[in-house]
Amino acid sequence: MKVKKKHNYNLIIGCVLTGILLLMAIIGQFWTPYGETEMNAAAKNMGPSLAHLMGTDNFGRDIFSRVMIGSGNTFLVALCTVAIGAVFGTIIGALTGYFGGWIDEVIMRINDVILSFPSILLALIFISLLGGGTYNIILALGVLFIPSFARIVRSEMIRCRDLDFVRSAKVMGAKSFRIIFVHILPNTWVSMLTAAMIGFNNAVLAEASMSYLGLGVQPPQASLGRMLSEAQSYLFNAPWYAIAPGIVIILIILGFSMISEGLRKIS
Amino acid sequence: MKYFIKKLITLIITLLFISMLTFAAFSVIPGDASLTKLGTDASPEQVEALREQMGLNDPMPVRYVRWLKDALRGDFGESYQYNGTAVSELLAQRLPVTVVLSVMALIIILALSIPLGIISAKHSGKWLDTFISQVTQITMAIPAFFLGILLTYIFGLVLQWFQPGKFVGLDESVSGCLKYLIYPAIAIALPKIAMVVKFLRNSVLSEVKKDYVRTAYSKGNTKNGVLYKHVLKNALIPVITFVALIIAEILAGSIIVEQVFSVPGMGRLLISSISNRDYPVVQAIVTYITAIVVIINFIVDILYQLVDPRVNAQ
Amino acid sequence: MKNILEIKDLTVGFCENTGWHQVLNKISFDIGEGEIVGIVGESGSGKSMTALTIMHLLAENAVIKEGEILFDGQDLLKCGDDRMRCVQGNDISMIFQEPMTSLNPVQKIGTQIGEALRLHTNLNNDEIQKRVIESMENVGLPKPAELAGKYPYQLSGGMRQRVMIAMASICSPKLLIADEPTTALDVTVQMQILKLLRRFHDETGTSILFISHDLNVVRALCDRVIVMYRGDIVETGDAVEVLRHPKHDYTKTLVAAIPKNTNVPVEKNPVVSVKNLNVYYNEGRHLFSASKKKKHVIKNISFDIYDGEILGVVGESGCGKSTLGKTLTGLNRDYTGEITMACKRPQMVFQDPFGSLNPAKKLGWIMEEPLKLSGIRDKKSRIAMVDQMLCQIGLDESYKNRYAHELSGGQRQRVSIGLALLAGTKFIVADEPVSALDVTVQSQILDLILDIHQKQNVTMMFISHDLNVVRGICHRVIVMYLGEIVEVAEVHEIYEHPRHPYTQLLLKAILNGDGRVPAGTKNSGKTTEEVNNEGCAYYPRCPYHSDECLFHRPEMKNAGTDKNPHLVKCYHMLTVD
Repeated sequence: MKVKKKHNYNLIIGCVLTGILLLMAIIGQFWTPYGETEMNAAAKNMGPSLAHLMGTDNFGRDIFSRVMIGSGNTFLVALCTVAIGAVFGTIIGALTGYFGGWIDEVIMRINDVILSFPSILLALIFISLLGGGTYNIILALGVLFIPSFARIVRSEMIRCRDLDFVRSAKVMGAKSFRIIFVHILPNTWVSMLTAAMIGFNNAVLAEASMSYLGLGVQPPQASLGRMLSEAQSYLFNAPWYAIAPGIVIILIILGFSMISEGLRKIS
Repeated sequence: MKYFIKKLITLIITLLFISMLTFAAFSVIPGDASLTKLGTDASPEQVEALREQMGLNDPMPVRYVRWLKDALRGDFGESYQYNGTAVSELLAQRLPVTVVLSVMALIIILALSIPLGIISAKHSGKWLDTFISQVTQITMAIPAFFLGILLTYIFGLVLQWFQPGKFVGLDESVSGCLKYLIYPAIAIALPKIAMVVKFLRNSVLSEVKKDYVRTAYSKGNTKNGVLYKHVLKNALIPVITFVALIIAEILAGSIIVEQVFSVPGMGRLLISSISNRDYPVVQAIVTYITAIVVIINFIVDILYQLVDPRVNAQ
Repeated sequence: MKNILEIKDLTVGFCENTGWHQVLNKISFDIGEGEIVGIVGESGSGKSMTALTIMHLLAENAVIKEGEILFDGQDLLKCGDDRMRCVQGNDISMIFQEPMTSLNPVQKIGTQIGEALRLHTNLNNDEIQKRVIESMENVGLPKPAELAGKYPYQLSGGMRQRVMIAMASICSPKLLIADEPTTALDVTVQMQILKLLRRFHDETGTSILFISHDLNVVRALCDRVIVMYRGDIVETGDAVEVLRHPKHDYTKTLVAAIPKNTNVPVEKNPVVSVKNLNVYYNEGRHLFSASKKKKHVIKNISFDIYDGEILGVVGESGCGKSTLGKTLTGLNRDYTGEITMACKRPQMVFQDPFGSLNPAKKLGWIMEEPLKLSGIRDKKSRIAMVDQMLCQIGLDESYKNRYAHELSGGQRQRVSIGLALLAGTKFIVADEPVSALDVTVQSQILDLILDIHQKQNVTMMFISHDLNVVRGICHRVIVMYLGEIVEVAEVHEIYEHPRHPYTQLLLKAILNGDGRVPAGTKNSGKTTEEVNNEGCAYYPRCPYHSDECLFHRPEMKNAGTDKNPHLVKCYHMLTVD
């Protein structure tokens, strides 16, 4: 077999980018240059400077500190939702995909319907029922990510189910659960990792949108989306207030999408 | 025809199922119409009497059937936040704006992404393709609402091509309305253009690897001949399904972008209704949007069958 | 004889990050006017690459380092794309291996066949339409006018290959390149296509470059043969002569006969006994589909497999032979009837060596698995057994740390056989175990199978479409047609005195010895469309059919002796013609 060796720049840059942002978010949980809600009446709507790397907002709060904490919240929401989606999605997808039958049919029909809606729309419906807030966002998005994981794991299961190595394991007398979790699942990790990255991507976007609409993380807690909606009123005088959190959101999403692109090239 | 009927039945079942689900979901929310109408200081007896009168004490299936009958006639009840204005009237004002915005976004997406996707695939591996790939990857990462804010800043505040927040209604001036909506439409479209370009490019590239392409070359076709006569039809088939997803995404995008540009459409109504717990309006909008998404998927399925001869075989 | 094509010192390779990878080393040959030249060689020998180079269809990263391809005195390598396009499909045309994927799935057949005319002539649509119909008639496609409006998925594999030939011949090319055109087809269909090519050649005098891995096919069709090995031409000459008296060592191994099974089982002691087996497949597995169709794949068959024998099962694709294997090994539980087995846990060796080993695991883990499953807890003894097995199947202990993708097809098939043995069985179902392998590797794997069969006294069911292999290694043969057994007998009996018309058809389609493919008639393969579920399944294709066959299904009858039964399911019980 001819293997073409080519540097996977997407994967490398994506990992570095995500790593830096994650590090910044983690540090932000323990230490920030200024307090999260520390106001300074003398320094309202100030442009970026050495003292305030990304400037200050209309209350004189340090935007950089708030971005650090806000991106921490974003990462937390993304991590939790993807974890919920991945765990339940994998179990559902693996079992329905392998065993098939009418349960599989029903679950997949429901999946298809859910997947034909954008996750932000469904999250909005959830939130309108459950009310806003960080935990409800995590719950809503987590549940909404189950179908996409289930579908990916299921299609991998179906692909492998009829492959000869699975038949061979069956003929040797391996039980169904052993076949699913020991024989087949190790073959699906690349596509699952790709799915997880796309999941992170969507979760970050959804969380930011929800917070922007005022339905996610509640004030005075810092959140990237919320900062953008506040910044909109001061757009003319303090454009940096909007640009700083906006660019951080873009970089987070870009990092994840580059990783998933890189992973796709591997598989 | 059999396929059509089968899909139609699936469509109706899905619609009923979704409406049932949303109805059930909104029924379990604490606090109902009677309380909202009478205010919080009404006596329990008064509330009970009104509940009985409004039929709120009936079992859920009865209430569902009644709601469905009303809904089919276009009657979704009264809004709480707008002092009893009929929900249908509210929707009638907002829906056209959102439809115009979404159609504009869709036109922008298709008009730009299909040529770009083809160009990108045609030059795959060359600098033009790499450039398009990099740009699409970045634009895909920009959230629509942030893009909206940037457009407001650049075109509204700095260049002053439009006045942010001063929406011109369709009834006032059609051209003025379109001129205003072009900016939110771009904000919705740009990240989606990137998605379609990438999807189409990959679709073309995976078709190009197939054996029938080699056959086409062996007959003496030019590169363009192979692309336009053979590859493109095959490559566009999966794109049809993808466009259904894109339309749904446009609807979702418009909810948020309407907020950014203060466009009085369905999305803005939905958000304010959620914030004010105006459930009849939320329920009506949710029903509308889900119905639109499901019907678009139905249309796409039918289109798919018309374009791809192999679907009939299954 | 004038040469239509002359290739001189052609060197082609790929420029890769790892360096220069040469696939054709200065090869030179020529094709005379009206000559059929065959190229044989195994995968990677460069035979397809040669064809693609002539047609200018090489991948973009391929580089033609030197050489010239003279066609009608003009160097194809020097002419520009525009000039080359006038040659492609007009003067030289090509047929590919996979008729399934080589046609555009969303374009009508008529349009695809007529495309070359649209590109190379100024004919109007009506004239093109007329030529398309003519061309389809020429290749024996029934009801051409109707068929022209259909899509490829509506046709069988054989018909698709006829469409390809119609497409390639419509501009009356001077040279036709056929790249493994019959490899994906059943033997009987292969014969029809070869006859068609022969007739096309005889009628038009077109030169043909025929590429194949199958020596028998090349011998039967070609005038001259070129043997390629790793990018070199190692031998060339008269097809029959070269393959009868090979001079080069590589050609000798290529021609080397299929190993013969000399071991004869003494007693007829049934290990597996099948009675009235019926197998169904669920077709409409959808929740909302009204009709739950069940396809009857195996229809009421009964047979025994004796201790220590190799039982061959032959038949064309779709006859149910693989389903039978799966049912016997327990992979298919939806059956009625009785299967009694004197041994535990029958094992299976699969056809595709690339799918049969778990790609995510190392060989050591894969080979320990059957031992774990049979309850051997001690890791050390498991590893010892794996090591021993690796030696037995001709590999060594170091292979434990490799992944399946690091192995060649033959090595993987060795591991599959080893796995079956590690599971501790005395009965193995081998489903086309050598069909996906190159000829030289094939005989090595067959040697291994025979070796294990003899040393370990393993009973085998050997499913294959290759009648030559079955003849070499099996003791008895079952012939299946559309889910039924139509004939069972000892291998010599069946090959020398086939009784059932279907068996006779199969055996006639075997290409061995020095037989040449005759030109087919224009309407070969005449079939009736009358079908009766009560009657004989082979009725529509049977040349000897009578009314009795249409209305009553024949019973299995013994045409041999009690000691050596020869069971046939036919009223006519034909003797050899």
